[in-house]
Amino acid sequence: MRFANRALTTIILSFGLITPSVAQEQGEESDAKFTTEQLDFFESKIRPLLVEHCYNCHSSEGQGTRGGLAVDTREGLQVGGESGPAVVPGNLEESLLWNAVNHQDLRMPPRNKLPPQSIADIRQWIEMGAPDPRSGRVAPVNSQVSDEDIEKGREFWSFKSPQVIAPKTLQQFADWPKSDIDRYVAAGFEQQQLTPSPDTPAALLLRRIYFDLVGLPPLPSDVAAFEKDFLESQDKAIEYVVDELLNSPQFGERWGRHWLDIARYAESTGKEFDSTFPHAWRYRDYVIDSFQKDKPYNKFVQEQVAGDLLPAKTDQQWQENLIATGFLAIGPKALLEQNPRQFQADLIDEQIDTVTRVVLGVSVACARCHDHKFDPIRQTDYYALAGIFQSTETLYGGVRTQRNRQPSGLIALPIDDHNPNDQPIAPNELARLRERVRELEMEQMQARRMAFMGNNNSANRNSTNPRDSKNDRDGKPPETNNNPARAFINQAIYDQQIAAIKARISTVDEQGKPLTLCMGVQDRERISNARLLVRGEIDRQAQEVQRGFVKLLSPQAVELSTNSSGRLELARWLSDPSNPLTARVMVNRIWQHLIGKPLVSEPDNFGMSGPGTKHQALLDYLAIKFMEDGWSVKKSIRSIVLSRVYRLSSEVQKEDFEKDPENEYLARGNRKRLDAEALRDSMLTISGQIDLKRPRGSVISNIGFAVIGPNGPVAPVLPALSQNTSSKAGDDAPAMMMEEQARRTFRLGNNQSNPMEAPLYYRSVYLPIARNLLPRSLDVFDFAEPSMVVTIREQSSTADQALYLLNNDFVMSQSDSIARRIFREREKPAERVKLLFALMFSREPTQEELQLSMNFLRDAAELAEGRNSAENTFSAWSQLCQSLMATAEFRWLN
Amino acid sequence: MSIQFPTLGRREMLLRSSAGFGYLAFAGLAGSVRCDEVSSNPLREKAPHFEPRAKRVIFLCMQGGPSHVDTFDYKPDLKAGEGKSRRPGNSRLLPSPWTFKQSGKSGLWISETLPEISKMADELCLIRSMHCDQPIHPRAMTQMHTGTAQFVRPSLGAWTLYGLGTGNESLPGYIALNPPPASTQNFGSAFLPAIYQGTQVGKPQLRGAQRFNGNGGSEEQLPDLNNSRLSSEQQRRQLKFIQSMNRKQLGAQKSSDGAETTGIEGVIESYELAFRMQDTLPEMMDLSKESRATLDSYGIGSGETDSFGRQCLLARRFAEAGVRFIELTHGNWDHHTQLRTQLPTKCREIDKPIAGLLRDLKVRGMLKDTLVIWGGEFGRTPDAQNGDGRDHNNKGYTTWMAGGGVKGGFSYGETDEVGYEAVVDKCHIHDWHATILHLLGLDHKRLTYRYAGRDFRLTDVHGNVVSSILT
Repeated sequence: MRFANRALTTIILSFGLITPSVAQEQGEESDAKFTTEQLDFFESKIRPLLVEHCYNCHSSEGQGTRGGLAVDTREGLQVGGESGPAVVPGNLEESLLWNAVNHQDLRMPPRNKLPPQSIADIRQWIEMGAPDPRSGRVAPVNSQVSDEDIEKGREFWSFKSPQVIAPKTLQQFADWPKSDIDRYVAAGFEQQQLTPSPDTPAALLLRRIYFDLVGLPPLPSDVAAFEKDFLESQDKAIEYVVDELLNSPQFGERWGRHWLDIARYAESTGKEFDSTFPHAWRYRDYVIDSFQKDKPYNKFVQEQVAGDLLPAKTDQQWQENLIATGFLAIGPKALLEQNPRQFQADLIDEQIDTVTRVVLGVSVACARCHDHKFDPIRQTDYYALAGIFQSTETLYGGVRTQRNRQPSGLIALPIDDHNPNDQPIAPNELARLRERVRELEMEQMQARRMAFMGNNNSANRNSTNPRDSKNDRDGKPPETNNNPARAFINQAIYDQQIAAIKARISTVDEQGKPLTLCMGVQDRERISNARLLVRGEIDRQAQEVQRGFVKLLSPQAVELSTNSSGRLELARWLSDPSNPLTARVMVNRIWQHLIGKPLVSEPDNFGMSGPGTKHQALLDYLAIKFMEDGWSVKKSIRSIVLSRVYRLSSEVQKEDFEKDPENEYLARGNRKRLDAEALRDSMLTISGQIDLKRPRGSVISNIGFAVIGPNGPVAPVLPALSQNTSSKAGDDAPAMMMEEQARRTFRLGNNQSNPMEAPLYYRSVYLPIARNLLPRSLDVFDFAEPSMVVTIREQSSTADQALYLLNNDFVMSQSDSIARRIFREREKPAERVKLLFALMFSREPTQEELQLSMNFLRDAAELAEGRNSAENTFSAWSQLCQSLMATAEFRWLN
Repeated sequence: MSIQFPTLGRREMLLRSSAGFGYLAFAGLAGSVRCDEVSSNPLREKAPHFEPRAKRVIFLCMQGGPSHVDTFDYKPDLKAGEGKSRRPGNSRLLPSPWTFKQSGKSGLWISETLPEISKMADELCLIRSMHCDQPIHPRAMTQMHTGTAQFVRPSLGAWTLYGLGTGNESLPGYIALNPPPASTQNFGSAFLPAIYQGTQVGKPQLRGAQRFNGNGGSEEQLPDLNNSRLSSEQQRRQLKFIQSMNRKQLGAQKSSDGAETTGIEGVIESYELAFRMQDTLPEMMDLSKESRATLDSYGIGSGETDSFGRQCLLARRFAEAGVRFIELTHGNWDHHTQLRTQLPTKCREIDKPIAGLLRDLKVRGMLKDTLVIWGGEFGRTPDAQNGDGRDHNNKGYTTWMAGGGVKGGFSYGETDEVGYEAVVDKCHIHDWHATILHLLGLDHKRLTYRYAGRDFRLTDVHGNVVSSILT
């Protein structure tokens, strides 16, 4: 365990495991400090030795860099591979090369030790400071982007601060605007000779406002009240409803989810080994609460990038700030990656990509391998940021196993609020668990040795005739003790058992009390600059790059503290009013969710290759207003929803369509699709089954550490502790393990034991988000791919969606509940149909639709095969409810 | 003017895919565009970049990494090196316990473990110099499917469907049969529109439980394919009602709009396809009408070959029905131990079914424009692991193709004398992808999609078409 040196205590857990120590750069060392003799010693004694004995497996020339170690450059030796630095100049004990050539923990070369003289030479060489002239061959990579290019780039509209550009004086539409926003837009109508659509009728408008602000449909009574108020004063009616909704708890859930799309929120690692994040939900709740409280956006950004470094007056604030940094930790992780340096480089890349695209609306990650192709962003800009993240430790949890090679710790929070299912462990039990880990590790080591010996011995023994194998002939399992294959399997099972216990132990403190943990980041103890990597390849290091920001966007030179990562400065720079992009990018997103299309149509590409915007004056107005209003998201939303542009009908006027088919000038409303959450929440709202309370934690936090399989999560199994293991474990362990595993494996299908598929009635934003196993109700309707920053969701119409709406059990059970509701609330069939249309579409059925519905009910009841006519009638009504939910109208927001 | 689909941007694509006849009617009014400019259906068949040699793909994916030196890569020198350690740190060489012999007129060397496939040797084009960048299963599998293990990218099948559309409106254009666990990404469309992703048919299988039942319940085939309550007549009525509501909505909007890019047509079409799929898919999966002789030729009904035989026959049926890309998975080729007993079992499970498939395609005249691909995510080491096993080897392994435009009875590339790594005419997985697209009439450099401000392609900045294997 490690204690972060803060006024308030943060504990980073490493589960008593060796966390992958990514070797830090050793800093530039000049050859000048070595004498010619010393360098000659390297050339005559050491280099030939490395070439002869090591290059085959550890260089760019041979079979690659096994274990991540390359010995053909000075940097390669000093940075080292998976196990750590191979050479620490002047320090034999720390130099793994020394360890390996003496066949201590490591054994290199693997078969025969080097001759004593060579070993002596290595000793002498390390002790003299490991002179190695080979670094000079990595030439610094020079950028093709000149200072003039950058200077010129700063003239590009989006890289300059937002400008106040007054809207043009209106002629024809002088009376049309309700607000400044409208004045900007109306200027476009006049210029393009477009006529704006009429305003949307009250009911449809209210529906639009409800879904946009809270993601739920209005009740028929809401519609009636609004229509009444609307007759008196349109503006006041709208204002009243908007303020009411902005303050309702459902607002944060709706708008928090928009942020979670771009924050690639999920509760598992994704990739090939989809391991759960049982504490990710805290970040989800943090985001929702932040939008609910209308946290100033600049503060929101700062907390997510550097909450751990911000001053906090109270434990409550400290807790919130730490959880906020989960933003940097919840991305997808390739836990199977064997090379920790590669893993680290990919992790940093993911962080840079996410932060720059989400906050700045440009991708700096393009510059990982070369200068940015379109924008004057140098490769060194990327590595300036990489240094900041390299000096940051990312904590996302996990337990080391043979498959999970990249676990990390987590952050312990100051206020007790532990995961609901995490139980305390009695101190004596805890001690027994620890003891058991030690025992199992011993046994695993034995099994490993057995398997290893098998590699080298039995190849010969058995190789002549496979059909002679004893194993085959008598059909009995061989003795464990001398069967390498069995030993190979057994040691893998020990691995699982050890992991299971460690996972359990990791949820409690030293006294066995459950810990309150979160994902997030902390500064490393060692702060370092990154080296530029040629073409982004970890084995091709070039010059060291000072930590810093993107030069294009940061005209003033920055001086970052040498005893902190620089994330705090980065966070402040990102959220500074002088940053030309941050406010623009956010108001563009707000506009996108309300109006249906962003002003800059690629919201994460404000750069030179991006589409730009036809509405720069409006965008800048919104951005400046946003900052003036204290970065208030709610105020920005409010001003847009109260504008007249927002009220425009989505019906298309023929002439306008010809002039502006894509509606770039906003002379009409955009039809919007309900997203997966709104669709599901609508069903639950109409059926009356929705549970608007926030669940504590999430399905995944209740499962704890597990791996998501195709049939649901598979939790590691805690082995029985009472068993006398030292003798028994060999043969019985596998069988027991399988049995336990089967019991703990949750399955999909009709039985409801898979917690991921249990019927849940709370809002969709709280459904479990495992990257490789999304809830079907979300997955099928274009849910944001949680492994990517998703700025605009897909809008597909697939057969799978149709099948879901026609046949899914959840949909049918909702239909039943709706049918029961209308039975309760209305007597006459025609009245029931009317209520149904009011609930579903916020409108009355037309005469024709009423007739169509009645006919359907009659036919459906006739065809139904229930036990009596009451059942048949109910079945028909349930089918009608389902059919209406399956219509296009239910999925559209006009 | 024709559709510039290779560079069709996401936004534009969505617009077009949702444009439909409403837009067309309007475009007609405006008199500015021709009808063939706009496709109402993003799955509609599209013209390839050039004359294709293959129209569809059946990809036989061998999960776990089959040992090339025991199947298709004959290494006599391995025998000579028996028991010796080739390189420091490596275990001793394990010669293949099986005999290789020359097969067919072409005389390709194939192991005795695959006697039936050997009989089809003259159809096979072996690529014996495969290599990829990933030494561990899932990542190699992902690279095999999407070109990269590092990022989430569209799969080969999704790119194919994006490039060519599909020929059957009642079936998905890209079908993954019996997909392995945790492989969704391998059939995914990533940033391509979701409509191009693979439809998984058959429940994902757990490791060690390779069972597949082509006649199984429909629930096993696709979620929500069956209605647990309604008869097909009831559902037909229901669908009729839904569609009449949808058409009214469309009509109402048209009458006031004249036109609009509503996307409602897309919904109407999706219900039509779904409803047809409810009928066609179980029918497609129902093998009971196939003749006994056909079933026998695929090894259906006899123990070991039954499961994969069913998949192979289904693949032929889907191919015949116009499905563009069909992928089958056969698992458990990861022979770290018990190579001598397990490898022959695995080979027996696929041998007859695959030979049956090739023969059946040939008889039906479909082999000439169907590209059959066989391969795993990597191969295995020539040296022993655990005495009777082999470790992963991504430096050199074998895949093969047959049919649609590749030379039969042909062997391309070589590994070193014992099979550690590809040394002659190396074929990286990017080259493999480029070649497959080329056979389908698609230029891997032109098949691009704009996402996040950049044009992406399956082969990134790599890939060379292996032209010497083309007919």
